[in-house]
Amino acid sequence: MSAADATTDPTRSAAPPVVRRISARFFVSELRLVFRRRRNLAGLLVLASVPVLIAVAVRSTGSGGNEGPDFFGSITQNGLFVALSALTIEITLFLPLAVAVVAGDAVAGEANTGTLRYLLAVPVSRLRLLLVKYAALVVFAFVATFVVSLTGIAIGLALFGGGDVTLLSGTQVGFGAGLLRVVLASLYVGCAMASLAAVGLFVSTLTEQPIGATISVVVFSTASFILDAIPQVSWLHPFLIVHHWAAFGDLFRDPIAWDGVQRGLFVAAAYVVIFLAAAWSRFAAKDVTS
Amino acid sequence: MSIVTRHPSLRWLAPVLATVVAASAGTVIAATTTASAGDTLPRRSAAELLVDVQDARLEGLSGTVVQTADLGLPALPGVGGGAGDSAEFGSLVSGSHTLRVWSDGPDKGRLALLGRYGESDLVRNGSDVWAWSSKTNTAHHVTVPADAGSGERAPELALSPQAAADKALAAIRPTTSVRTDRAAVVAGRSAYQLVLEPKDADTLVGSVRIAIDSETRIPTRVQVFAVGASEPAFEVGFTSFDPTTPPDSVFAFNPPPGATVTEGLAGDRAELPAAGLPALPSDDETGSPDAAKPTVVGEGWSAIVLGTLPTTTETEPGQGPAAGALGSLAAVVDQLPAASGAWGTGRVLRGALFSAIVTDDGRVAAGAVAPEALYEALDTP
Repeated sequence: MSAADATTDPTRSAAPPVVRRISARFFVSELRLVFRRRRNLAGLLVLASVPVLIAVAVRSTGSGGNEGPDFFGSITQNGLFVALSALTIEITLFLPLAVAVVAGDAVAGEANTGTLRYLLAVPVSRLRLLLVKYAALVVFAFVATFVVSLTGIAIGLALFGGGDVTLLSGTQVGFGAGLLRVVLASLYVGCAMASLAAVGLFVSTLTEQPIGATISVVVFSTASFILDAIPQVSWLHPFLIVHHWAAFGDLFRDPIAWDGVQRGLFVAAAYVVIFLAAAWSRFAAKDVTS
Repeated sequence: MSIVTRHPSLRWLAPVLATVVAASAGTVIAATTTASAGDTLPRRSAAELLVDVQDARLEGLSGTVVQTADLGLPALPGVGGGAGDSAEFGSLVSGSHTLRVWSDGPDKGRLALLGRYGESDLVRNGSDVWAWSSKTNTAHHVTVPADAGSGERAPELALSPQAAADKALAAIRPTTSVRTDRAAVVAGRSAYQLVLEPKDADTLVGSVRIAIDSETRIPTRVQVFAVGASEPAFEVGFTSFDPTTPPDSVFAFNPPPGATVTEGLAGDRAELPAAGLPALPSDDETGSPDAAKPTVVGEGWSAIVLGTLPTTTETEPGQGPAAGALGSLAAVVDQLPAASGAWGTGRVLRGALFSAIVTDDGRVAAGAVAPEALYEALDTP
């Protein structure tokens, strides 16, 4: 895009070339691809079923008691805890699995069905193609997380009601402040899932089998969880992608402990940068054979 | 782009570079809390540092403390949280734990042990002391005299700080060499280091290093090293340290609705385990007729404590918690490696900093020494 073009064309002088280049059409079509796939919608439905299951189970037995997974005991006090219980349960497998399915599909799925070559015929750089793919994955990561927490909030409030929220520290905050903390926790978990999506995008560029990419990502996150539980390799823990995922619980202390969340965001950002760079290294020079 | 078009493998420099940048950025962030500051601080002798510590007065404090114990203990059921996800105070004997502390004068303080999705708190606000555990949803309330704690310093420390420091040094110098070391950085603040090294060759303790904040003169880190170890077996220190008065709301605790609230008098320790505190030895255990008073053999760092276990059979029905604690202790002991010798047979606990033996006939020996020294102590009545 030369300066001469811009001056001779009146529409371009009004809207600089930069604005035209970030047209959202490609991104919107990618989003449509992700959110219109029936398997992805089914995945979101499964994610939403967990908080419903939790709420109905606790409601039907009458009391959460002190047994059961984290945050279960508080559910009968306040419906917001259904969302937190669901997040703590799903963050270990269901959410990473949902992200892995979509991320593994991103490039390998196109290669597998033979549509990658047509996609590459679109006159955009491969870097931009990757970035658009990743942006759609990020949107899916946040949507998946909020499907869990918003379903949890809705069913929790319907079955158990709201009111003041008892924090882990034993102090109480108002319902609005509690709701805000649940939203913050969901945003944090969304960031964590987005970092896993970057890993998934990279793996997806390595293969033409989307299922292989998906399995690799699930294995990656699960192996990280296993390593994180082994005290003998504690030197490795701060570098694991999953190590700080549970830090969203720190948002429910009084005062909020930001340390873990900050470190978690740093690790997530590091994983995103590294694996996007790796995906570009692989994809920009990839021979498309399918 | 031309160079990466001609040499596609050069693109892989990008993720490698990103990894290096991320790793070094992470290391720099971590290093500000642990790095050595060199000798930029004016020199202080050990005695001067001890005087400083006694004179130190903090108006307020909020910070984060990380405690790491790698005592070389075998993984035993009921001991420790391991992965650091337990929010119970009893889990502090192993693994790594994070605590948040707040203090505002002598009669306001709060200690929060952070677990994964859980928290145990000890809050003191004037005459009210609360112990809270989020896992069990219980709060225990104790009322203490409002001025308790403000005058709790031992009588000998009520001497002039200089005299007390001299006295303390004189007391430990026969067994311990005391010196200062190069400055350290604790919680991003430079700190003096006091090193205590046992002169005794028998003990497992190699050295104890105490970091003293250069500005506030508050001890900010204690590390205990085993002999020949480069990593501390036990470490407790601040990772963030803010010597400003925290807001009053931090110390406000009201048990939330729905929590189990228990009331107890000060010193009524039997009820504290309900709030996640480790069971403290009560008179039931040490005062029973079968349990002879423990004796101490040797002195200084290699002192060995000899005693006998109380028998569980004569425990009365009313002493539920104590009997339970003894029962679980027996279960734990049974998992330890067995050993035998001239002293008899028993189970040996070989830790990095201390050893302990429970013999089959109920004798107990423990000390900061190798098990071999314990065998000898058991053998010579």
